Amino acid sequence: MTDWNAMSDAEFRKEVHQFFETEYPEELRHLPHRPKFAEIEHWHRKLHAKGWVAPAWPAEYGGMGLNAAKLLIFYEEQQRGGVNRGRDMGVQMVGPLIIKFGTQKQKDYWLPRILSCEDIWCQGYSEPGAGSDLANLRTRAEFDGDDFVINGQKIWTTMAHDATHIFMLVRTDPNAPKKQQGISFLLAPMDQPGVDVRTITTLSGETEFCEVFFDNARTPRENLVGELNKGWSMAKALLSFERIFIGSPGLAQNALGQLESFARGRGAFDDPVFRDRFAQAALDVEDHAALYARFADQLRRGETLGADVSMLKIWVTECFQRITELMIEAAGPDGGTVGPLQVGNVNVDVLASFYKARPTTIYGGSNEIQRNILSKAVLGLPD
Amino acid sequence: MLSSDQEDLRLLRESARTLFERAGGSGRARKLRDASGGWDSDMIGELAGAGVFGVTVPEANGGLGMGLAAGGVIAEEVGRVIAPEPVVLTIGLSLGLLRRLRPDHPKMEQLINGETNLAVAWQERGPGGAPADATCRYVDGKLTGNKAWVVGAAGSHGFLVVAEGGAGPVLVLTEATAAGLSVDKRVQADGSSLGELSFSGTPAEQLAEGSAVQDALTEAISDATALAAAELVGLSQRAFEITLDYIKTREQFDKPIGSFQVIQHRAVDLNVMLEVAQACVREVLAQMDCETVPKIRARLASRAKARAVTAAKKITRDAIQLHGAVGYTDEFEIGLYLNRALVLSAWLGDDAYHRRIWLDAREEEGAAQ
Ligand SMILES: Cc1cc2nc3c(=O)[nH]c(=O)nc-3n(C[C@H](O)[C@H](O)[C@H](O)COP(=O)(O)OP(=O)(O)OC[C@H]3O[C@@H](n4cnc5c(N)ncnc54)[C@H](O)[C@@H]3O)c2cc1C
Repeated sequence: MTDWNAMSDAEFRKEVHQFFETEYPEELRHLPHRPKFAEIEHWHRKLHAKGWVAPAWPAEYGGMGLNAAKLLIFYEEQQRGGVNRGRDMGVQMVGPLIIKFGTQKQKDYWLPRILSCEDIWCQGYSEPGAGSDLANLRTRAEFDGDDFVINGQKIWTTMAHDATHIFMLVRTDPNAPKKQQGISFLLAPMDQPGVDVRTITTLSGETEFCEVFFDNARTPRENLVGELNKGWSMAKALLSFERIFIGSPGLAQNALGQLESFARGRGAFDDPVFRDRFAQAALDVEDHAALYARFADQLRRGETLGADVSMLKIWVTECFQRITELMIEAAGPDGGTVGPLQVGNVNVDVLASFYKARPTTIYGGSNEIQRNILSKAVLGLPD
Repeated sequence: MLSSDQEDLRLLRESARTLFERAGGSGRARKLRDASGGWDSDMIGELAGAGVFGVTVPEANGGLGMGLAAGGVIAEEVGRVIAPEPVVLTIGLSLGLLRRLRPDHPKMEQLINGETNLAVAWQERGPGGAPADATCRYVDGKLTGNKAWVVGAAGSHGFLVVAEGGAGPVLVLTEATAAGLSVDKRVQADGSSLGELSFSGTPAEQLAEGSAVQDALTEAISDATALAAAELVGLSQRAFEITLDYIKTREQFDKPIGSFQVIQHRAVDLNVMLEVAQACVREVLAQMDCETVPKIRARLASRAKARAVTAAKKITRDAIQLHGAVGYTDEFEIGLYLNRALVLSAWLGDDAYHRRIWLDAREEEGAAQ
């Protein structure tokens, strides 16, 4: 097995770049929408055969075992090449949690299935009354023999209509003294009579998230991960991981690349005002990467990240939004046009990028919530 | 002049609002989008009945003679309910051109009565995709060439086309069904479409020629630009109201989210932004009614559009943020406002474009003094 971490950064980057350049199917580059699994299955097979599905997982579980610096390079190249992340909720979210808190049996069973995409996961946290205030969740799970019986509703569940399993936070002790207590982390199969999935159309007309209704749905007791009623702190541990992922430069870098080729094709670089705005955006991205590297170094040294990691997400998502707004500006009279816009021999879907950038400041803990965290936990401002 | 009569404007606003609300508000816009992406011809008739299309046409030519300030009142109401009907297109561009060049033409009356809709085609797309110099020609009664970004192309009965004639520009009229005309529809964020027209020996009637055509086009574009700004102000106002209602009622952490100070300050900032935009656009429209120098009118229109686009973008985008995930759904009303704002912002130049134009004009005027 290759020890990627032993390679120089430059060597590693070359290797990754090469693979994405030659092996990634051209028709899937810079996909403007979230694909269903079937659409990217052949690519996933290649990635799986190469052993590159889970770059961050330890090698013993079938991951690449990349350290933070290499991971950064991997994601950078992935984004730059317009390589779709695929259906990676299993790899990015539930896998790390099982690795950290799961039993040996759970690891042996679930992890290989995540890698092969035999199971495709969706994230069932949010509910109609539990968005920013996630601890307010009401979906119940009660013991019944060897099973949990689940009742309630999840919402905004990304790609639930194309998932086989859901990992969820459920209330297992409604009488706990605090909202954060009495919550457990459960895995459940979607293909059963008690689970009803309804898609929700986004404002760009895509169906990428869903409502999921549970009406006496069942999942075996052994699908509880970690301790009963201790799901909240586990999920929070995962969230800080999600925040560095969400705070990584990829999306903004990719958008910047698209902005540049589009604006060059349209002649916008002749305009000094546009040049200044572009330079601002480019420096925002580059300088963010410097801050990101600081956090990545911390991880490399084996330290855990503090609440200050939230600043990455704030910066990069807002920067991503500005870049896509600049794309619309560069599109001029085409700025309201749906679908790819042709410039020379490239196509850039300006509106798709714009739409993709909007919810990044809402999901993964909204930017207002991140600012609340920073002001309290980092700056120590009083309540 | 009537346009300065605040009471008339108030009555006009009331009747336009009632008409649109009775027809179903923004829900009507959604239905039309889902049905076809077009507009409703019954609504066109009702608007015509209320005198909407002829609002800026002099009384002698069959209009109400109320000026752009009144046109702006109507455009704001159109924006509030994101009505897809070609109101600003007709008042500002089609009638804006005809009333200046051919007030005698029978299409004038038909436009005012809502019996016909004409789209206006003057811009062309260059090879890189960006706007380019015009090359579409009109020779021996026939058009040959292309026109781009034609608003209302899908539902119109005909086109007013600015083309190169033998001796300078001409304004010609061609029917939508004319031979050798093809219309390629580009779907827009709000479900409407822009037409890319291509003419190959398409028969057309010449309406006017010479420098008067360019002058009238400049003036009509100024009018339409300022009216589009008013439409954006109305849109922003309604988007803000919807958001304000939402943050008062949505609860998280056992409180309405509007009780969090950061949300309160955001709402206040949006409100200030809105009020500034409304004051600017209304002032501009009133000034344009009294101003006769085309360059100054163009500068004023740029001021209005620059401000209105800035406000509409900020307000609709922040509105989505303040709604959270529901704001990102199609089902919720607020997304329709974001999408409509995208389209109206791109039409006739966005804020960055108009700030440049405004500054150029200002410096040119300064140098001339
Ligand atoms: C595209 C998309 C995909 C998603 N995918 C998933 C998924 O797969 N699984 C899942 O479980 N969830 C998912 N979500 C849900 C996401 O996690 C929630 O949208 C998010 O937690 C915010 O909750 P909310 O939408 O209910 O907004 P609300 O919590 O109602 O917030 C509305 C507004 O109020 C602000 N606000 C709330 N509380 C405060 C406060 N205390 N101080 C200041 N401001 C505040 C928010 O920042 C926001 O601007 C997704 C959302 C989106 C948009």
